[in-house]
Amino acid sequence: MKTVHVQYFAVLREQAGRGEETLATDAHSAADLYEALRGRHALTLPRSVLRVAVNEEFCSWDRPLHEGDRIVFIPPVAGG
Amino acid sequence: MDAFNFSSSPLEPERYREALGDPGAGGYASFEGWVRDHNDGRHVTRLEYEAFEALALKEGGRIVSDAIERFGVLRAASVHRIGSLAIGELAVWVGVSAAHRDEAFAACRYIIDEIKHRVPIWKKEYYVDGDSGWVNCERCAVAAHAHVEHAHGARAPDYSRQIALPEVGSAGQARLGAASVLVIGAGGLGGPVLQYLAAAGVGRLGIVDGDCVEASNLHRQPLYGTADIGQPKAAVAAAQLARLNPEVRCEVIAEAASQGNVDDLVRGYDLVVECTDNLRAKFLVNDAVVRAGKPAVFASIYQYEGQLQTYRPEPHSACLRCVWPEAPRDGLVGNCAEAGVLGPVPGTLGAMQAMQALKLILGLDDARPSGVVIVDLLSLDTRVIRAPRDPRCDHGPDARPERSAVEPLELDFTTLDEARAAGYELVDIREASERRFDRPGTQIDLHLPLSELLDGRAAFPVAGRQLIVCAHGVRSLALAEHLRAQGRDGVWSMRGGLAGLSP
Repeated sequence: MKTVHVQYFAVLREQAGRGEETLATDAHSAADLYEALRGRHALTLPRSVLRVAVNEEFCSWDRPLHEGDRIVFIPPVAGG
Repeated sequence: MDAFNFSSSPLEPERYREALGDPGAGGYASFEGWVRDHNDGRHVTRLEYEAFEALALKEGGRIVSDAIERFGVLRAASVHRIGSLAIGELAVWVGVSAAHRDEAFAACRYIIDEIKHRVPIWKKEYYVDGDSGWVNCERCAVAAHAHVEHAHGARAPDYSRQIALPEVGSAGQARLGAASVLVIGAGGLGGPVLQYLAAAGVGRLGIVDGDCVEASNLHRQPLYGTADIGQPKAAVAAAQLARLNPEVRCEVIAEAASQGNVDDLVRGYDLVVECTDNLRAKFLVNDAVVRAGKPAVFASIYQYEGQLQTYRPEPHSACLRCVWPEAPRDGLVGNCAEAGVLGPVPGTLGAMQAMQALKLILGLDDARPSGVVIVDLLSLDTRVIRAPRDPRCDHGPDARPERSAVEPLELDFTTLDEARAAGYELVDIREASERRFDRPGTQIDLHLPLSELLDGRAAFPVAGRQLIVCAHGVRSLALAEHLRAQGRDGVWSMRGGLAGLSP
C-alpha cells in the first residue's frame, strides 16, 4: 500500500464530487489507479480520452506509482 | 462665417472679430500664430502650409463647437492659413467672445491646442541653406491617418505606459506595430485577446468567426452588446476595435476555420491565437500552424477551469497532438451538453493568451519547458504540467492525416420522418435530462444516452443502418466516427442535430 494524492479536473471533478483526495492504494500504475477510481466514483470517461500527469509532468498510463506521488487526471476541454 | 475655415490669402483678424460680436459678450480673447524665422535650431526663410481639407474642416469645426459647449462661451471661430507664407505672416487666428474673460481665455487656449493636435495640417519649412522639409504639426499626422481610415476624428492611443517597461521600449512598440496576429474565434476567449492586442498597438489583426452574436453570449463576451445580437461577430468585433484603436488594421473573416481555408489564413500572419470552442477546430489549427511553422497560443475552458498551451516552432516544443495523441473528439467531453460557465473564466484565459501573444512578439517568452498551464478559478490554483515534445509525434503533416471519410459520415435531413422513410433507424444519444422539453411526437426508435454508451451500461446495435442524433450534431458525429473507426459500417450522424430540423 502507498499513499498518493489525486486531483481531478473538469468533468472528472464534477463526477467525483471533489477536486482532490489523498488515498491509500495498491495500484501499480496510473492506469490501475484510474480504473479503481472509475469504479468508486462512477467516472464515465474512458482512459483513452484522458491524460495523466504525475508530479507535474504528463506521463504514460503504465508509469509505476510511488509513495507520495501527486497524480492529476486531465480531460481535454473545449469551451471558449 | 463657418466656425473653422482655411484661407489661401492673408488672414483678416479685424473682419473675423466682427462676426463674434454679441450683446451678451463682456469680452473677447484671440490668439494669433505667426511664422517665425527659426525652428529646431534651423533658420527658416519662409514656409508652406498644406491641409487635408475635407477632413480638416470637419475636425476644426468640431473643435470649435466643442469649445463653445465646454466653456459656455458665446461665439468662437478660427481661420488657418494655407499656401506660402513669409516670416511674420499670420498663420492661424482663433477668436472667442464670452460673458467673462476666464472662459474666453480658456476656450481660446483649448481651440489652438486642439487644432495643433488633431487637425491634419503639414508645414514645409524652407531654410537659409536652401534645404527644405515637411514638418508635422505636432501629432496631427497620426490624427490624419485615423481620419483617412475611419472618417471621424479619433486620436491614437498613447503607448507610453507600456513603452516605459524596460523590456518594451520604443523598439518593442515598433515590433508590435509591425506584427500580425490571426485570432480564430471571437467569443469569450477571443474577445479579450482582440481587445488587448488592439489596445497594445499590434499592427494587423485577422478576426475569424462565422457566428453571429447571440443573447446567450453576452454574459461572457462583453465585447458585444445587446444591440449587436444577430450581427456577425467578426464584423462587430472589427468595428469595436476600430473605436478602441484606429491605428490597427482589422481583417474580417466571417467564416469558421475549415480544412479549405485554414492554411491560407495561417500563412498570412506571424502568430495564431486559437480561441474556438471545439476540439475539431483546435486540432485543425494545430496542424496548420505546425505545417506553416508558426507559433500559436491555445486555450480552452470548462466551467471554472482553463487550459493554456503555447506552441513554438522549435524542436522541443510540444504541439497539441503531443499532449493529446488520441485527438479527442467533441461530444465525448461534454461541450455540447451546456456545461455552464461564468464570464471571467474565458476572460481570464483570454487575457493570458493575449499576454502570451505579446510575449512572443516582444521576445519576452519565458524559457520554461513547454507545457500546459491549468488554471482553476475556484481554488485559484495554477499549475504547470510539463509536456515535452512527444518523439512519436513527428510534427509533420503526414503524421496527422485528417480522417478521410470514404463514405459521408453526416447526412442532412429536414424532418425525422424523412430520415425514417429513407430507411434509417433513429438513435437518440442525448441524456434523459435533455429530452424533457422535446415536442410531443418526436419519433425516435432507440434512446441510448452517450454517458451509458461510454461507461458500458448500454451498447450500440451491432448491425443495421442507424442515424445517430443529438442536440446539435456534435456528439452524434463523434460517436459515428468512433464506431466507424472500430470497423462498424452503417452508422451516420444527422448534421446539425435536432436543433437543425425544420420546425
